[in-house]
Amino acid sequence: MPVFKTPFNGYSVKFSPFYESRLAVATAQNFGILGNGRIHVLDLSPTAPTLSQLVSFDTADGVYDLSWSESHDSLLVAATADGSVKIYDTALPPTANPIRSLHEHTREVHSTDYNPTRRDSFLTASWDDTIKLWTVDRPTSVRTFKEHAYCVYNAAWNPRHSDVFCSASGDCTLRIWDVREAGSTMIIPAHEFEILACDWNKYDDCVIASASVDKSIKLWDVRNYRVPITVLNGHGYAVRRVKFSPHRRNVLASCSYDMTVCLWDFMVEDALVARYDHHTEFAVGVDMSVLVEGLLASTGWDELVYVWQQGMDPRAV
Amino acid sequence: MATISPAPPNPTAEDLPTSATEIVQPKNEVQQDAQAEAPKPISEPSVFKNSEPIREDQVQNAVKFLSHPKVRGSPVMYRRSFLEKKGLTKEEIDEAFRRVPDPSPSAQATSTNQDGQVKSPSNIQPQAPTQALQTAAAAPTGAISPGGSLMRSRFHWYHAVFAVGLLAVSGAGTAVLIKNTFVPRLKSWIRKVILEDENDIVKKTDAKPSLAEEAAAAAKAAAAAAADVAKASQEMLNSKNNEKRYFEEFMSLLDVQVQEMKSMNNAIRKLEGQTNYSGKTSIANREDHRVSMTNVKQQYTNGKVDFDSRSVRSSSPPAPVEPSVAPHPKSYMDIMAMVQRGEKPSNIRDINDQPPNPNQQLSSSRFAPRSKPWEVGQTQNGSSHVLQSEVNAEGLNYMVQDDGLNHQLENESSVPWWQRKNVRISEVDNEDELKSGPNGAQTHELPVRRTWVPPQPPPVAMAEAAEAIRRPKPSVHNEQLAGDQSVSRPSDVTDELQRITKISETGSAEEINGGSSVLNSSEIQEEKEQFSEAN
Repeated sequence: MPVFKTPFNGYSVKFSPFYESRLAVATAQNFGILGNGRIHVLDLSPTAPTLSQLVSFDTADGVYDLSWSESHDSLLVAATADGSVKIYDTALPPTANPIRSLHEHTREVHSTDYNPTRRDSFLTASWDDTIKLWTVDRPTSVRTFKEHAYCVYNAAWNPRHSDVFCSASGDCTLRIWDVREAGSTMIIPAHEFEILACDWNKYDDCVIASASVDKSIKLWDVRNYRVPITVLNGHGYAVRRVKFSPHRRNVLASCSYDMTVCLWDFMVEDALVARYDHHTEFAVGVDMSVLVEGLLASTGWDELVYVWQQGMDPRAV
Repeated sequence: MATISPAPPNPTAEDLPTSATEIVQPKNEVQQDAQAEAPKPISEPSVFKNSEPIREDQVQNAVKFLSHPKVRGSPVMYRRSFLEKKGLTKEEIDEAFRRVPDPSPSAQATSTNQDGQVKSPSNIQPQAPTQALQTAAAAPTGAISPGGSLMRSRFHWYHAVFAVGLLAVSGAGTAVLIKNTFVPRLKSWIRKVILEDENDIVKKTDAKPSLAEEAAAAAKAAAAAAADVAKASQEMLNSKNNEKRYFEEFMSLLDVQVQEMKSMNNAIRKLEGQTNYSGKTSIANREDHRVSMTNVKQQYTNGKVDFDSRSVRSSSPPAPVEPSVAPHPKSYMDIMAMVQRGEKPSNIRDINDQPPNPNQQLSSSRFAPRSKPWEVGQTQNGSSHVLQSEVNAEGLNYMVQDDGLNHQLENESSVPWWQRKNVRISEVDNEDELKSGPNGAQTHELPVRRTWVPPQPPPVAMAEAAEAIRRPKPSVHNEQLAGDQSVSRPSDVTDELQRITKISETGSAEEINGGSSVLNSSEIQEEKEQFSEAN
């Protein structure tokens, strides 16, 4: 399975929704505490299991997350630690990049997500307790959602309802928002500790997964949100990111500070389907490919990016 | 914006009671899904809103909480956050805020009769001025978050220092007063006495020289004594001042030591990783260093709150079920220590990452957006309808364009390694089952086939499919679909989508949702049927 060594500590990895073999990695120097950042656009070679770099972009501050555009095959949105949101066009030469730098957040931008249904807008979630909605053509944000009492770690669009998204925050609540409404439409006090990630089920648009510092992942149905559908335990430390499979309604992947990436099937009695412990530091980013079923990618603070097919060993040659 | 109830939710709030009865009942039953989802495709997504009626008991609890004097002094954000964490809905929180009178004299909340008992203690307290005093005094003490105790203890410490300072100042002031008023008075009195004595002596020189002499001597002695007393008192004052100075120096030294101890404590805690949460540690540390190290001009609107909450969180007592902190890598701790000392790691470069041309034109997009695997049969967005048929057509183009890449594969007769192992296994089966198509073309189609997922067939076909002999696994056979079937697809796409639309509109959304996996298998059956038809 291919491995790519990044010079900086990995923070996030995302597959391109246009090219099966393409993915982007967000990295930050010095574990993201203080230092530069770099975005790598990598390509999987179809013949040999190798990852090669197509292009990379340097940033002044660490990059915490990125997101591919759903409407334009070469656009990337990057969330950086200095509060700016940068847009890159990988089809243009690096000297012409970034094409936009949007600076409105007052703290680090921790995550970004592109709308998969409307395909024209994206969200950024920041440690300044706000979530902002942007479009690529506008120099300023379209909306600002300010309700959380602490850092917002993640925001994710609903895969079926183009105006609904959820957010996970350090104030221990999940909030569901509708862009057409002024404020949040639902507040779920999901955990007793900070919630680091959230994601929607792609096949059941009312199911959300929340990943928390309390090492658990909880699945919620918004129609009956007082009690979780199920609680997935198995990680040894805080769960950093969670991602529902784009191909299977019951499957989700998660990565954690216990250095493992886990695959879960929550309709099964013993939900943990697979555990991959290939990382030697915090596993911080994970993604499942929309175009290739079962293809997983992960990155961590050990400066490595792995891409592997579910069921195989990521470290296999 | 938190406490203002804006216009848009109000109409829905009125709708809530009417729909609440519908939804509350089905909640007890299993069919809540269908009923709750029935209005969904048609009108607004009510599923994502709270449809429960306001729970009066929760509101009562909230009002009691909000009426507590210590809570009154805390920022509104903390109060809201606490109530949210307790599971109250927005409407319940707003209702509770409405019922509890605002401390500020201008905003008078309408008090309902239900909470008369609750509000009587608050009414007993005198009105605005003392309340303002209370809020001012209670503001440093009031904190709802778990680390409130720490805030209070910090306040006390602070308070103690302030009190000591006050005492010192007052002591110095009285000393000065004494010096300035008492001593001169004493001296003048002594002088007066001496003068009087002298006068007396002068007057009585003839009469009683001895007495006068004695009196004079006594007066002088008294004066001398008084002078000594004055001197002694002055010396005492001086020594007191010195002592005060020493005391203050001592206090400042203690402060420094306390600071050092605190920082050592923090460092120890971090090293041992006992009371801090992993996520919070990194965040707490980041906040720490961002405040000190950042050189971008940023307004930390919540800076103070964050600082307080950060220190609150990092020093809060351990909760009963406390998640253990992940051990950070050693180099991470090194860098954290460096940053806290104020040093900058040496490997940081100055990078200008500003856009060279802020109005740079985007390059032209080469491919149209592709439909997602879960969007098949999707009827929510009208736009995606059209998009799908377009995408299907363009998907063909994409496949054609991608042929350049795959022709190589064809020659080497290999599949991109990232395809599932199952695919290769089933390829062997496929060769037997499928009547035509060279292997090369097959494999050549396979990786590209993934890019275009055919739409789901209508449920009618499902019944037929269910009776088919072959029951392949859906995931495996998705990749078996050959490309030439796709040619016949575009015409069928809209028909099938229409049929699916009808089904969903009749409210069997659950069917579709639940049956998506079943649909997969049926789709494959139909593919096979069509393929066999084509042959």
